[in-house]
Amino acid sequence: MVHHSEDGDRVRGSSRPGGRGLWLPLVAVGAAAVLAAACSSTPTAAKLKPKDTTTTSTTAPAPTTTTTAAASPSTTAAKSSAAPATTTTVKAAAHSTTAATSCSTSGGTLSATCDTQSTSATLTGAGANSIQPFFSRVFYYFNQADHGVNVNYSPAGSSVGVTDIEQDTVAFGDSEIPIKTPASGTGGNILQVPVDLGGVALSYNVPGLSGGLKLNGPVLAGIFLGKITKWDDAQIAALNPGVNLPGSTIYPVHRADSSGPGYDLDQYLIDTAGSTWTGSAAGTTASTKWPITNVGVGQQLNTGVATYIQQTQGSIGYVEYAYSVQAGFTNAALLNTAGDYVTPSQTSIAAAGAEASGLSATNFNIVNGAGAGTYPLANFSWTLLYQKQANAAQGVVLGKLVDWVTTTGQNQAKALGYSPLPANVVALAHSTLLQLENSAGKPLFSS
Amino acid sequence: MTTLLEEVPPPLAPVPGVAEALGRRRRRPGGRLYAALRWGGALVFGAVVVALVATLVSGSSQAFGHFGLSLLWSDHYSPAKDQYPTGVFIVGTLITTAVALVLAVVVGVATAAFLSELAPRVVAAPLSVAVDLIAAVPSIVVGLWGLLVLTPAFSHHVEPFLKTIPVLEWFFHGAALGPSMLLAGVVLAVMIVPTVVALSRSAMTAVAVADREAARALGATRWQVVRTAVIPGARTGIEASLTLAMGRAMGETIAVAMVIGNSYTVPHSLLAPGATLGSAIINNFGEAAPGLDRSSVVALVLVLVLITALVNVGGQLLLRARTRSARR
Amino acid sequence: MTVTAPPAPGAEEFTEPIGVRRRLVRQRARRSLVRRRLVSRGAVVVCALALAASLAPLVGLVAYTVGRGWHVLSGAFLTHEPTPPGVPGGGIANAIVGSVVLVALGAAMAVPVGVAAALFLLERRGRIAGALRFGADVLTGVPSIAIGIVAYGLLIAPGGLLSLGHYSGLSGSVALAVLMLPIVVRASESAMAAVPSELREAGLALGVRRSRVMRSVVLRSALPGLVTGNLLAVARAVGETAPLLFTAIGSQLFALNPLQPVAAMPLVIYNDGTQPFPAAQQIAWGTALVLLALVLVLSVAARAVAAFLNRRAR
Repeated sequence: MVHHSEDGDRVRGSSRPGGRGLWLPLVAVGAAAVLAAACSSTPTAAKLKPKDTTTTSTTAPAPTTTTTAAASPSTTAAKSSAAPATTTTVKAAAHSTTAATSCSTSGGTLSATCDTQSTSATLTGAGANSIQPFFSRVFYYFNQADHGVNVNYSPAGSSVGVTDIEQDTVAFGDSEIPIKTPASGTGGNILQVPVDLGGVALSYNVPGLSGGLKLNGPVLAGIFLGKITKWDDAQIAALNPGVNLPGSTIYPVHRADSSGPGYDLDQYLIDTAGSTWTGSAAGTTASTKWPITNVGVGQQLNTGVATYIQQTQGSIGYVEYAYSVQAGFTNAALLNTAGDYVTPSQTSIAAAGAEASGLSATNFNIVNGAGAGTYPLANFSWTLLYQKQANAAQGVVLGKLVDWVTTTGQNQAKALGYSPLPANVVALAHSTLLQLENSAGKPLFSS
Repeated sequence: MTTLLEEVPPPLAPVPGVAEALGRRRRRPGGRLYAALRWGGALVFGAVVVALVATLVSGSSQAFGHFGLSLLWSDHYSPAKDQYPTGVFIVGTLITTAVALVLAVVVGVATAAFLSELAPRVVAAPLSVAVDLIAAVPSIVVGLWGLLVLTPAFSHHVEPFLKTIPVLEWFFHGAALGPSMLLAGVVLAVMIVPTVVALSRSAMTAVAVADREAARALGATRWQVVRTAVIPGARTGIEASLTLAMGRAMGETIAVAMVIGNSYTVPHSLLAPGATLGSAIINNFGEAAPGLDRSSVVALVLVLVLITALVNVGGQLLLRARTRSARR
Repeated sequence: MTVTAPPAPGAEEFTEPIGVRRRLVRQRARRSLVRRRLVSRGAVVVCALALAASLAPLVGLVAYTVGRGWHVLSGAFLTHEPTPPGVPGGGIANAIVGSVVLVALGAAMAVPVGVAAALFLLERRGRIAGALRFGADVLTGVPSIAIGIVAYGLLIAPGGLLSLGHYSGLSGSVALAVLMLPIVVRASESAMAAVPSELREAGLALGVRRSRVMRSVVLRSALPGLVTGNLLAVARAVGETAPLLFTAIGSQLFALNPLQPVAAMPLVIYNDGTQPFPAAQQIAWGTALVLLALVLVLSVAARAVAAFLNRRAR
């Protein structure tokens, strides 16, 4: 090895160009990388910049909720022929179509006060895992109808959605459980828009046991607390006279991350299981993090729980009903407040949604609602977005997108196991979206 | 070479101007560019290491400030207080790593010995290449296989079977859930075996032929050659491969989270579900709200980094000390 | 090196006549040999079983992936973008291209820095080089998830040092670059250190500038090693999931802009493989097969290129 001191590199004037030959490519590769990054950075947003947004400034009168509106411009129906029932008319918030023509719409009912023509944008969202099948469908069909708008949704979980929107690292978040109001993050006030109605199924994989096993709060609490460990336990048998219960072990599975379904079940058990549940580590306040982590197996997201149920005989766990439908699981019937045992279905979940009156981000809980046919574990999913959209053009696109999801997009819900939003909730979504503003505080939409 | 050196003529008197010419050559601007490049590389590299450590330390400072050092051995999980059972995770990490190492060391070193010493060359050569290539299989693929293939196999066949073995009952009791510490250890073992085999094998091949011949000459059988000459000779290399494998097993996250069952209590059996530092980080970082919650998760990352660094650096120091004493 | 001799037969006192003693010795020696041969055979069998035990799961894993993924592979799978559940068709073109973009950007950052740092280590002894080498040791052992989280903290979280404020492929590339860096440094250093110092000294003795010696002698001779080391680093990076999970986060779109979230094959395997639906699992297996093939090609290429350059050098 040769040892050199650094002063050998001291420089005086003359130079011979050949000496740098091989260093330059090395440096050039690095520079090229930086350049490549810089060039591709010219964001699509630059094209979208509205010439001058917000000509009108006042918010529109509250929309009436009973008007029947056409689902979408014909383009939607034509292009997405694969989509079931796209041409059905849905009850939607009324809107004036005059302003809408000035902005190229893709079927949403929201009309922008903008005069920007281009709606080309790429939006990134993150949040609830439960809504992913629905979102990936509606975003796909929205893109089919309006090729300019691409939406990328990362289904990492409700709490991820909340954290991400609060940090302003995504264009929109989504959570099964709304943020405590007043909701705000680094980008200011956060609006919360209900976008779908779903249920939480208690799915089980027990050979020889068909669907509709009756369970109530205390028994479920016993299972998830590890106190009821066999499928033929006397408490289960008492609820299911005449059913031939196997003597196998119960393997309860819960969510390892925090989740909306976990919150709903926790709330249901707090309401119905009494001190068996509330006296345990669960406590009396519902939590998105599953409180009992030392019983059974914890799995990531709905997908992880569902995969475990599918693989393991004797297992029972809670998953979003859409996942249960797609995976073909058998679901338990739960005792509701009217004294009926109800299995999750579109009808029973829709019945639970219909009970929601005076829904808002603070009054969101529809778990264990009244009514004979209601399924007790139901919830709305909430899309989270900043009221002040720093990039107004993107804000317009986002507003139209969410509006489309709550109206035309609801057609996609049924096929996947969600229930369409009730009209009063669609109206709530619409009026919430009207609060969207540009950075100067002027509303983006007039009606 | 030696003959050339002998033919070198006796030194002449210095030719005037040569020293100056040499000096000038050394001061060309190419030299400065070259120096800048080297120093630039070194500085960027150093900055990366410093930034890594600094980010983790500053990110976790709030948690350490709030919980104190007891954070390191806490076994209490309280989501409401943003408190994670670090102690449970550390125990889980150690157990799964130990299971993986026990499986991988025995099987891996024996395989390496077979490939390097015992097998006929026709078999050994292609298999060695195959192992080297398999070492590059991404861990996510191993995890996928563990989740979709091994989990059902374990819950239906392997775990119920292990429970019936009388002596091992103490390790294997409780429900056969599928996801478990054992399964996580097995998945990790599958992941690190190729590394152990590939590195141990190359260490064994590097043992001097003379050592083997000496053993042979003393009448040693093939196995005795391996046991008395090859394995002791390759010991540092084998230990280095184990250090690397151990670090990899400890730091693996996603594949473990997929098969470990994510239970935040100290496991009572190898069949019980558990959690490691890595799986806990994956499950909690994304949703941890900025502030104490995120800081607590970053503290888990810092603990994990410290443990793996300890293993790595400790292993390397041990190896250096051994080679130094061996040279003496 | 300790080499223990086979046990010396018959160390007792000499009481028997010489003939008897000789026979006894021969008998003991034979018995010892038989026993040792048996043990040796047994050990060989045990080691062969170990080989089977270590290869069986690995070969099974690869074979299973090929078996499951094979049916999924098609032109459309490789060239189309993903579709939502229930909509037939769709592929992973975005993830394949995304992985390539992420790793290429990462390599473009890691390789120049890594080779330059290796040059530094090669030319310098002392405290700074020692610290740097220690840094490389530490960085090699840092779990990839930690790198991902640091990248999140610096490049994405608001208030981060170089924060962009949103998820981006670029931050994923930076994380992959940091992951590759210690591998590149070590491989490059050992490749260059393997160049005989006489070659360098000869160059220097001829009065050639040091940079020129490095370029024409050291780098050229070390090129096969450099290429192999760097390609192996790339092969490692392309299969990593954890550094991308909180940085590039993946995308359903054909997004190449590194300032937006970018799809990657490991993320597709993670997201789709954990789903209970056969269609999603099929996509995961198909992606796993493509990823395996890519990693295999890179690993084989690393060796082939090295062999080719070595042959040409001779």
